[in-house]
Amino acid sequence: MADTILVVVEQKEGTLNRVSWETVAGAQEVAALTGWALEAAVVGSDVGEVAKEVAAKKVAKVYAIESAKLEPYTPDGFAAALKGFIGEKQPKLVLMPHTYQVRDFAPKLATALNRALICDAIGFKYEAGKLWFTRPMFQGKFAADVSFVGAGPYFATFQAGVYRGDKVEEGSVAAAVETVNVEIADGVIRNRPEAPFKEAKQAVDLTQAEIIVSVGRGIKEQKNIEMAQQLAAALGGEIAASRPICDSGWLPMERQVGSSGQTVAPKLYLALGISGAIQHVVGMKGSRSIIAVNKDSEAPIFEIADIAIVGNLFDIVPPLIEEVKKAKGA
Amino acid sequence: MIVFRKPLVEIERPQMEADVVIVGGGPAGMACALRLSQLIDEHNEQHPEALLSKENIYVLEKAREIGAHCLSGALLDPRSMLELLPDFETEAPLDAAVTQEAVYYLTKNGKFKLPVTPPPLRDHGNYVISINRFVKWLGSKVEEAGITVFTGFAGTELLFEKGRVLGVRTDDKGVDKNGEQKSNFEPGYDLKAKVVILAEGSRGSLTKQLIGRFLLDSERNPQTYGIGVKELWELPPGRIAAGEVIYTMGYPLTFNEYGGAWIYGSKDNRVSLGFVTGLDYADPRIDPQHVLQAFKSHPFVAKLLEGGKMVRYGAKSLPYGGWWCIPPVAGDGWMVLGDSAGFLNSQRLKGIHLAIKSGMLAAETAFDAMMKDDYSLDVLAKFQDRVDKSWIKEELWPVRNFHQGFENGFLSGMFHAGVQQFNGGRGLKEHYSNHAGHESMQRLTQLAKNGGAQAHIINAAKGDGELTFDKLTDVYYSGTKHEEDQPAHLVIHDTTICNERCVQEYGNPCKNFCPASVYEMVEASDTPSGLEIHLNASNCVHCKTCDIMDPYQIITWVPPEGGGGPNYEGM
Repeated sequence: MADTILVVVEQKEGTLNRVSWETVAGAQEVAALTGWALEAAVVGSDVGEVAKEVAAKKVAKVYAIESAKLEPYTPDGFAAALKGFIGEKQPKLVLMPHTYQVRDFAPKLATALNRALICDAIGFKYEAGKLWFTRPMFQGKFAADVSFVGAGPYFATFQAGVYRGDKVEEGSVAAAVETVNVEIADGVIRNRPEAPFKEAKQAVDLTQAEIIVSVGRGIKEQKNIEMAQQLAAALGGEIAASRPICDSGWLPMERQVGSSGQTVAPKLYLALGISGAIQHVVGMKGSRSIIAVNKDSEAPIFEIADIAIVGNLFDIVPPLIEEVKKAKGA
Repeated sequence: MIVFRKPLVEIERPQMEADVVIVGGGPAGMACALRLSQLIDEHNEQHPEALLSKENIYVLEKAREIGAHCLSGALLDPRSMLELLPDFETEAPLDAAVTQEAVYYLTKNGKFKLPVTPPPLRDHGNYVISINRFVKWLGSKVEEAGITVFTGFAGTELLFEKGRVLGVRTDDKGVDKNGEQKSNFEPGYDLKAKVVILAEGSRGSLTKQLIGRFLLDSERNPQTYGIGVKELWELPPGRIAAGEVIYTMGYPLTFNEYGGAWIYGSKDNRVSLGFVTGLDYADPRIDPQHVLQAFKSHPFVAKLLEGGKMVRYGAKSLPYGGWWCIPPVAGDGWMVLGDSAGFLNSQRLKGIHLAIKSGMLAAETAFDAMMKDDYSLDVLAKFQDRVDKSWIKEELWPVRNFHQGFENGFLSGMFHAGVQQFNGGRGLKEHYSNHAGHESMQRLTQLAKNGGAQAHIINAAKGDGELTFDKLTDVYYSGTKHEEDQPAHLVIHDTTICNERCVQEYGNPCKNFCPASVYEMVEASDTPSGLEIHLNASNCVHCKTCDIMDPYQIITWVPPEGGGGPNYEGM
């Protein structure tokens, strides 16, 4: 049968992890260059809706690999389900995003099928019929091209951020979705996960936000954050802050962006009254569009901003909120 | 309300017994451990019936990795390493042998090269090294030798019993910002040791406790310090030769400040450069990091660095005072080594070789004690004798008044130094006195509003982002990281002094002399001045400048949770 690429996307409680789109985009590039067919798989329990989402993209087919035992996620469960499926289907290449969850089960899966796994790839090459994956080494000081030895299925994971999730090609028609019910024998799953917990209750995951309105020292007083929150709400985004704001307790630590906080790469990052010290910038420079408002024309943030607004944020934000509301209302 | 770090009370702590505990895994501590191991090995070979064990000898290092907190220029005088490991030149990471030295006096735009390099600054036979890499290597030899190095563990308190040091307490881990235990709380250990050897580097925190407890500075000159602010740069090839050594004096300092710069050509087109500013200047607005940036703007330096890239930043204090400032170095159950004791030749600007030698002599003393199973003052005091009879004193005695000669400024210092060259260091009187550096600080009312002659080195540097940098950017390149949720380890004993008195009198010099932007004055609604002190403790690079230079002497630097601090890779 023709060579196939299988992308295993990631879902949690019925929601697709956004980074999966990046893997699909990357897989589409591999398919384009190699000429291999591209199929996708979702693993879990009752994941039909997620499968449909994926089926809207340019893929030949989507499999929903299901079993009640696959919710909640366990490494044994996922490895067993995929081992069976992959063992049968024999795709040439299995691609996955390099997430925590994939790191947990992929090595087990590859070993179970006696195959190697190339992880955290930052690119690939297809030359003279041979497929190579590029991996960073020694904290990025070198890059190594690695290829597989022997027959497939080959396993590889892509580093987050290497491909753009929004570059995924849409399908002209929805692909077929096939539900594959897998049997997982008793005793295969050896651990029983308890309810997930975090020491600090995290109400927000900034890394999943598409729009972020972020405030810095320029906001002056705690009560002024309300204004930024209104803007965030109007835009449908999340509020975040640079370090001094969280240090003062004006916003919780989980909303801090920067080297000692979150690293985010939303579609739009609005920096209000943030100077742009390097410690903050490293946490948000991957943002697609950066708009900065600061009354200091020499603020370093303007070096990375796509749109620079030199002015007083207290004069700019309130009318901005009105315009956004109008534009959205229209 | 800032909650400051202090050891938790009324909790049970695990107790451990040890023979020798060395606090500090720098050149002094590692040399001590290695020498001790050599002596034990020799003994065990000759006396298989009475074997000595290395199992109860520990080195405590607060950094996450050996060498991570080590910073220096550095030039290594191989004298002591040749005694410790005669073949060390074949295996130690030495960047380059010194090939040429030059000393310049800089004016604002010009430079004047001294036609003859003063003998103390002649470096032929010495090596340009990265002390971080050197200590990593030395540490690996210590571990190979079978001595346990506990990284990520800080010595936070000395345990005393009457006149004796009993041991060391390590840091409490998993304590939150408010001093409460977190779910990963682990109390610090009480390490009871027969002898505690303090090798904490400049202005050691346990050393400070020891000196305070036993009044060890009562018959000594007060120790004075400098702060070395360093950047490591990668340059286009051919710009500077490996092994090329340059010293500068003058710009950007005036005759009222003590200090100067170094530029050392290392291998792989790297250059180590930095500026040491004496921590005894008068204007509280002087900012040592700004001094370094101003130095780099000098045409001579700017040309050297053109097209290069800054790769690392750091800062550390160093003890300048010399012989008269060294406290008694041994007592009942304790010894003090290296920079903690003040074994540094400020005329030659070298201390690593002296630190290593002091470590070796302490090891010999500790070995004696192990043999006799007697760790009392009688046996340990021999460490002082050994130092007095060694080339440590030979080297430091003739420069005993060197730094003291500069008490009244640069010109008089040069004059005294000249005289001292001719009469074996005596100068104009046998024993020069000096003040503690922070006492030189003047109040704002006594100084020119715009900074006068110091205008170009006061307050925060703006930085152009390519040749010069603002402090926050530089701090980023120190790689410093700490557990965020922990009490502040810069213990200010009375913050109302910061908010009410210092604001008026000195303008909060902490925000200037700290090279890491730890101290900030922020707007506050409930203080008379409208400002209050804010600590960015996790920026700290462990240089100890605040502990040294605060004019009210109300800051005590204590180690934060072990593992935190700068990452001085290649420094």
